[in-house]
Amino acid sequence: MSIEAINEQLLRAIGVGVALLGRKTLQFHFHNDTFEEWFGNPNGPATLQDIFTDFDVEELNKSLNETGRYTTEVKFKKKRRTMVIALDFTATEDREPEIAVLVCQNITRIRELESMIDSYSMMVERNTREIKREKEQVEKLLLNLMPRSVYEEYKTFGVVTPQLYEPVSVLMLDFVGFSETVTTLDPSVTVTELNDIYSSFDRIGEQFGCERIKTIGDAYITVAGLPDPTPDHARATANAAIRFVRYLERRNASHPHQWQCRIGLGTGSVVGSVVGIQKYVYDIFGPAVNHATMLQSFSDPMQISVQDEMARALSEQFELENIGEKSISGMPDQPVWRLLDNRKGISAAG
Amino acid sequence: MSDKTLFEKYGGFSSVSKVVLAFYDTLLDSDEIGPFFDDIDMSRMVDHQTKFISSLLGGPASYSDVQLRQFHRNLDITNAHFDELKAVLEETLANHGFEPADVRIALEAIEARRELIVD
Repeated sequence: MSIEAINEQLLRAIGVGVALLGRKTLQFHFHNDTFEEWFGNPNGPATLQDIFTDFDVEELNKSLNETGRYTTEVKFKKKRRTMVIALDFTATEDREPEIAVLVCQNITRIRELESMIDSYSMMVERNTREIKREKEQVEKLLLNLMPRSVYEEYKTFGVVTPQLYEPVSVLMLDFVGFSETVTTLDPSVTVTELNDIYSSFDRIGEQFGCERIKTIGDAYITVAGLPDPTPDHARATANAAIRFVRYLERRNASHPHQWQCRIGLGTGSVVGSVVGIQKYVYDIFGPAVNHATMLQSFSDPMQISVQDEMARALSEQFELENIGEKSISGMPDQPVWRLLDNRKGISAAG
Repeated sequence: MSDKTLFEKYGGFSSVSKVVLAFYDTLLDSDEIGPFFDDIDMSRMVDHQTKFISSLLGGPASYSDVQLRQFHRNLDITNAHFDELKAVLEETLANHGFEPADVRIALEAIEARRELIVD
């Protein structure tokens, strides 16, 4: 067999469609078996337009004249499968008559794979967005349960090491006659109002560097000096306490239901830790918490009681009134002070 | 018992993609089920098969019962069509090295949805 014959056999059998066209006439001079399998037999003087209806001949000629090449894609159904074939035209040079070589590659599988990747990546991206949203919700929930630095520790190490914080100041707030409120008010109203008030307390506390630890029903506990120590911890809680009372007074003036609180400010050390395994919660324990709880019970409605040690730290900036000696948490009697809102004093004087 | 889905067990998307393409080829060639896809655009068909196989194997897609019913409404799908699809799926999974017990799990999963698909 001659080389020419072998070449022709190869050209016929190859899995790529090949055809030769007159450059000007766009008539078929030659096509191989693969071409015929895909597009039929261009019998007689068939032209490109006979085989590919809707073919943009103008674009082909323009591109062949400018660059000598032109590529496009055609789609057709074979049985019910959508076939996608890439057509690649090359103009031959220095030959008479001029011809264009057409090479056709089956890119159906590539297109199918692209569709599959599109489909899959869309699913994955949607899932990723959902997971991210869920993660943010979980994070938000956990940040409600514990300070951010504790949460970071928990996230990194999976555990939280109990830590001693000293000194810190604790603000304990309790509502007067809450049990009666609960029984008389519609439960959903009680919860809505409490939520409203606690959210405001959170915002006020945040302004002064207090970290809300927890609420137990009508008791609200916030602390300053934790997790980051601050020399201002006593002042932070005192400022927050005064604003809590102001906030409630203003709220009471425009709301049908009145909320009266008692506040105690205690100082000392606390241990902060996550408690529990399944239902974990961040909590603090220690003398400062006990002091604040005790002092709160000494307060008249809308009054703030302050531990002696703390009163000394506050005396420069705040107005305080001695309300006598009392025993706190089994310790010997010591003076207890009432924290006054000096803005009220000023405005009264003014 | 491990919590791995079949999707994970058989190597995730890189392996499952081969199952999807084989399934797609066989479906198109099938004279019983193929005609349902005569007028369906290729990318939609591939999208559908990708999601179908992924959700069947516990991958990152899931069709709700309502969606399944909606997709197959008014298509006149008979029990014979459904059985043929199951046979195609069984063969495809087996050809891709799925263990018989896992093929059974997948077949049970689609059998549970027969009512939603057959008219």
